[in-house]
Amino acid sequence: MPIQITPDLQENIKNFEELFSDCEDIKKRRIKVGKNLKSECYIVYIEVTVSSVDWKDSAIGKFLGTLRTLPETQLADYVRENVADVSDANPFETLEDAAQGMLTGDALFFLDGYNRALKIPDKGYPGRGVYEAESEKVIRGSNEGFSESIKLNTALIRKRLRSPHVKVKETFVGRRTNTNVDLVYIKDLIHPEILKKIEERLNEFEIDGALDSGIIEQLTEKRKFSPFPQFQTTQRPDRAAMAILEGRIVLLSDNSPVALILPTTYNSFIQTSDDYYSRWEIASFTRTLRYVASFLAMVFPGLYLAMTNFHTQLLPTDLLLSLAASRQGVPFPAMVEILIMEIAFELLREAGVRLPGANGNTIGIVGGLIIGQAAVDANIVSPIVVIVVALTALCSFAVPNEEFATAFRILKFVFIFLCGLLGFFGFLVGLLAVLIHLSHLESFGIPYLTPFVGADLSGYQDERDTFLRLPLDFLKKRPVYTRQGARTRLKFNRENEKNQEGK
Amino acid sequence: MTDEMFADNLKISLRQIRRLFVLDIFGMSSLLLPGIFSAMTGADGLFCLLIGMAGGIVLLWLVAANMKYMEDDYYGYMKDTAGQIVSDVFMVFYFLYFVTLSGYALYELTTLTLGWLLPEGSFDGIAVLLIFLAVYACLRGIEGRARVYEIIFWFLGVPLILMLVLAIPDVNSSYWTPIVASQGEQLFRGSTSVMIFLLPFNALLFLRPFCTKPEKLAVCGQQALLVVTALNVVIYLILLGVFGQNSMGVLKRPVLTLMGMVNLPGGFFTRQDVLMTAVWFFALFALLNTGIFQGTLVLRELCHETKKNFSLYVVAALAFFMGKGLFEHRFLGEIYDIYQNCIALPGMYLILLALLLFYQIRTGRKAGKGATMNVEE
Repeated sequence: MPIQITPDLQENIKNFEELFSDCEDIKKRRIKVGKNLKSECYIVYIEVTVSSVDWKDSAIGKFLGTLRTLPETQLADYVRENVADVSDANPFETLEDAAQGMLTGDALFFLDGYNRALKIPDKGYPGRGVYEAESEKVIRGSNEGFSESIKLNTALIRKRLRSPHVKVKETFVGRRTNTNVDLVYIKDLIHPEILKKIEERLNEFEIDGALDSGIIEQLTEKRKFSPFPQFQTTQRPDRAAMAILEGRIVLLSDNSPVALILPTTYNSFIQTSDDYYSRWEIASFTRTLRYVASFLAMVFPGLYLAMTNFHTQLLPTDLLLSLAASRQGVPFPAMVEILIMEIAFELLREAGVRLPGANGNTIGIVGGLIIGQAAVDANIVSPIVVIVVALTALCSFAVPNEEFATAFRILKFVFIFLCGLLGFFGFLVGLLAVLIHLSHLESFGIPYLTPFVGADLSGYQDERDTFLRLPLDFLKKRPVYTRQGARTRLKFNRENEKNQEGK
Repeated sequence: MTDEMFADNLKISLRQIRRLFVLDIFGMSSLLLPGIFSAMTGADGLFCLLIGMAGGIVLLWLVAANMKYMEDDYYGYMKDTAGQIVSDVFMVFYFLYFVTLSGYALYELTTLTLGWLLPEGSFDGIAVLLIFLAVYACLRGIEGRARVYEIIFWFLGVPLILMLVLAIPDVNSSYWTPIVASQGEQLFRGSTSVMIFLLPFNALLFLRPFCTKPEKLAVCGQQALLVVTALNVVIYLILLGVFGQNSMGVLKRPVLTLMGMVNLPGGFFTRQDVLMTAVWFFALFALLNTGIFQGTLVLRELCHETKKNFSLYVVAALAFFMGKGLFEHRFLGEIYDIYQNCIALPGMYLILLALLLFYQIRTGRKAGKGATMNVEE
């Protein structure tokens, strides 16, 4: 049963201090107000969230200053009538709501004779500012990255999409963490049913704590056993803004610098922001490269095994002899050799990620150069296997999204076993299984392989932005994520069109 | 959100159906027909392909004519037109056809694997793996299956066309003669063989509830038929021109042998046959999948199954045993040949003709009754 805030300040203080007993980080101050300082108010906040002790320059300080100029009898009326001056939310009626308001990082204000509590924003929780995104690096385009503050992140999106049609729907996840989750979208572009479906999925579970968007992602994913992520992640506000312009919905979670974009497809994981900032030839070339890389990151070691162990007739004799010569003295079968190197490489990668910056680079050098060379010299692995593993790693690094690349890294081991045991037949079986799986996969109603499949849903327009990114003039329509009737994103006015025809 | 937005809307597009049928028909026909023609008709195989195509067009016309009167699904139409018992008999006929088709596709796919990809493998191991894959593909309905073939279509088509183009310089046009040298019976047998390979088009009848534009299904089938025939004609002419009739007769899978012989200019790979086997692997798998999916669909209707996948497992098991039987007992292959020629082929045409006839009689009677009642009134 929620505890109502009453006009009796002492009772409110007693209830509040009971609720927050043994919480030394919460500062509770009783302050005299009114012309004759005969009335009392009670201000509570989390220690670091309010900027200065005397509050002279802060909103709270100015507010208190005003209250000290008014007669005691007029204080409650004044506060009631001027709530909007200091508070960004409606006054709280219950103690639980007020406590929740304070835990978002603001100060709470109780006044004797006033049966509400005000939430007064100040500095808020400490957090990083806007830093460069550590993943999804681009050659051209903004370097701003999301931070841990959800308010900052929504502002970074707003900065790019200055339209009243951009909506931010707020919800809370986590029984104990009460994590703020925002859904950002353009109202007239999205399919309302997708938004409804996302909200339904968010309400499908009750968890005690959602400390990162990753937890929300996992709990709302439909196919839990698929290695492929069904939500796209980004740390770049421009990528998120671009997705919103495509009629997709961005989910921001407080305390997480990673935004979730949904729905998503295989194609969208391969795209990067600068695909659209660079000329179409460069964008098409690099994108095709990324497609090939995503495929090779999964199958390259397996194909090497299939060709060298089962189908040697495919390779030219000279190459075959050189491969055989390089393997001389290696005591392990080729499959074991590949597995040793791949596991060693994954260990190096993991160690490199966990160690602090400079040490992480050292691990790369020690692992890549010294251990690799020593393993070859000691005849534990052949030089060609080192090349195969290194190329595979390069391919996985070329995939722009980490979670998506991880799917290929995991499947790579499946292909190593399949091809090592069954040769090219194993490769075909594995490929077919992955294709069947991907073709069943969907993200909020959109087939994962769109627009390679189901391109008719968008009148085959989306095919212009796949392996090749056609010139922007050709990409006049938004992708399939956008609702029918709102798909035009580029229009030339008549004069421009005439000029183009003239050229 | 409109229905077509959803991935699990149980509807597939015409492009998906077209590609699915091209792969279904192309795989088996391009693999086996050249061998059959070389043994029977030589260069006249070309005429067999064209006559066979004409037969296919007739079949598709019958399909289209029946579909015109279909209000919902094929089984419902059969029941309305010919009654419960006759329609059940027809459904059993279709069930047998699709199960044996999947068994034969499994047999061909496994022997292809054993011959070209994994000679030291075991039939049972390979067949079980393939059946598992096919069941996995069928479990999620038709869309997933259709999407697989939609996406791989050009990945298979482009290398195939490239290889065929590269094989053209090796063609000796004198091998294309003599023409019109075969006897009528040989031409007839060759043509019926082609028509047998076109029988999977009957699956179109069952696709009406799954298609976004059911009224265009038959046209879609005709387009697929034209593509497959064109491909088969080109492949046959190239094979005949490269090997000649006699050499081709002794080759097991001439088209795969050809793929092994083509030299890529400045090529890294010395032989491409293993890589190109992927084309037929995927195409035969498509046919295996079609057989199992359609067989399951028919069995489900017959058993009134609603939710469980019992029918799918039964059909998959039957396909496995049929494939294994064909692999281990040669005579079963001969029986299957007789079944295809004497029962499946004429049966498919006759069922469609009979349904049309029944429909005309039924509507005629209704019209007659209506007229009588009007007069009485």
